[in-house]
Amino acid sequence: MGVGPSTKETSLHHFRDPLVKLLGEDPGIDLMGVLVFGSPEGNEEKIRCSRTAAVVAECCRPDGVIVETDGWGNLDVDYVNCVNEIGERGIPVAGLNWSGTAGTFVVESPYLDNVVDFNKNPEGIESNIVGENNYTEDDVKECIKKLKIAMLKKERGLK
Amino acid sequence: MADIELRRLVIRAYHMDDVQFGDENKITTDGKMTITKDGLDALAGKYSEVIEKIDIQIIKPGDHDRYTNTIMDIIPISVKVLGKCGEGTTHTITGVYVMPTGVDVNGEQAHEFGSSEGNLKDMLYLNRAGTPADDDFIISFDITFKKGMGQERYAIIDAYRMVEEWMNTFRAQLKKFEGSKATEKHEYYDRIREGQKKVLVIKEMIAHGAMLDTWIFPDQPCGVEGGKSLIDYGAMPVMLTPNEFRDGAIKAMN
Repeated sequence: MGVGPSTKETSLHHFRDPLVKLLGEDPGIDLMGVLVFGSPEGNEEKIRCSRTAAVVAECCRPDGVIVETDGWGNLDVDYVNCVNEIGERGIPVAGLNWSGTAGTFVVESPYLDNVVDFNKNPEGIESNIVGENNYTEDDVKECIKKLKIAMLKKERGLK
Repeated sequence: MADIELRRLVIRAYHMDDVQFGDENKITTDGKMTITKDGLDALAGKYSEVIEKIDIQIIKPGDHDRYTNTIMDIIPISVKVLGKCGEGTTHTITGVYVMPTGVDVNGEQAHEFGSSEGNLKDMLYLNRAGTPADDDFIISFDITFKKGMGQERYAIIDAYRMVEEWMNTFRAQLKKFEGSKATEKHEYYDRIREGQKKVLVIKEMIAHGAMLDTWIFPDQPCGVEGGKSLIDYGAMPVMLTPNEFRDGAIKAMN
């Protein structure tokens, strides 16, 4: 689960996860699995865990990876590092992340272009409304589209 | 190229059309659920080191103009019938979801970063994957913690164990429901789609401490018992099959 009430994913969200649902239904995608890693508090651990997730991804030889988190703020450190490590390994990567106006990335990477911001709050803030800033099937469709374009570009040798 | 099916998971859903207080905790395949408050004091008593008391409210669809303490989670009542996590058969209840709320005896909300206490109609966004729909019932499982316990990790874990213990009465009945009486049946596969784009999902989940915690691999879908915190795994990556994920292998410990 995430940080505040509006971004955190409930147990029911995981049980009915739109990302796993739509990837599983897509006839053009061979869904390999869901790699879960924790976001610890310490910075060194954050870098190690998120890097290891990218290492596992590399060892699986995927055509593409989608990285998602329901957290922001200090959770961006691991999130961006994971996306960056995957990008540096030459693997097409897209993502889902809450940014809005209050949660824009606190660290940077050149591989964040395909990350979909699933903010739903009109002011772009973390509200106290449970479920408000959760990703929906529309966000997932947008993310899958971005990943498919990135995979196609790699296949055709385009940047 | 043909798909290679590795394993199948069947999730049968039993819809509850009516939820009311009654003499016992009971669900039937014709969609009736009754809940009793008898036994709540005894249940709270088992966790008396951290829990002061518990109460239950049945919230009817649309009846959301009411005060709620901070919403800790939204949990489906699901049970494994056959097989291990990610394969075999799982039964789940639709039309009603369990919503634990938490506050301590001094009115301190059980929250970490932001609290969702207030008017329920303003504090719960309906119809998301993780929240009830307009026409769903909600069982507000209202937990009052002992002083300061709404902020302690072990107390939050105990609270979720208590919620699960309460849900187990329904799980035991749900497990025995006849397959043919299900209102919905979903078949999910872990499959290799040969020749298609291989895609891996990576999910970063919080592993900080109290109410910023995620557990994996509970014995029952979206349960606690038998599960472990990602913190105990050193937050290192763990691979799940898509079907394990779909079968409630993750429990938010908000």
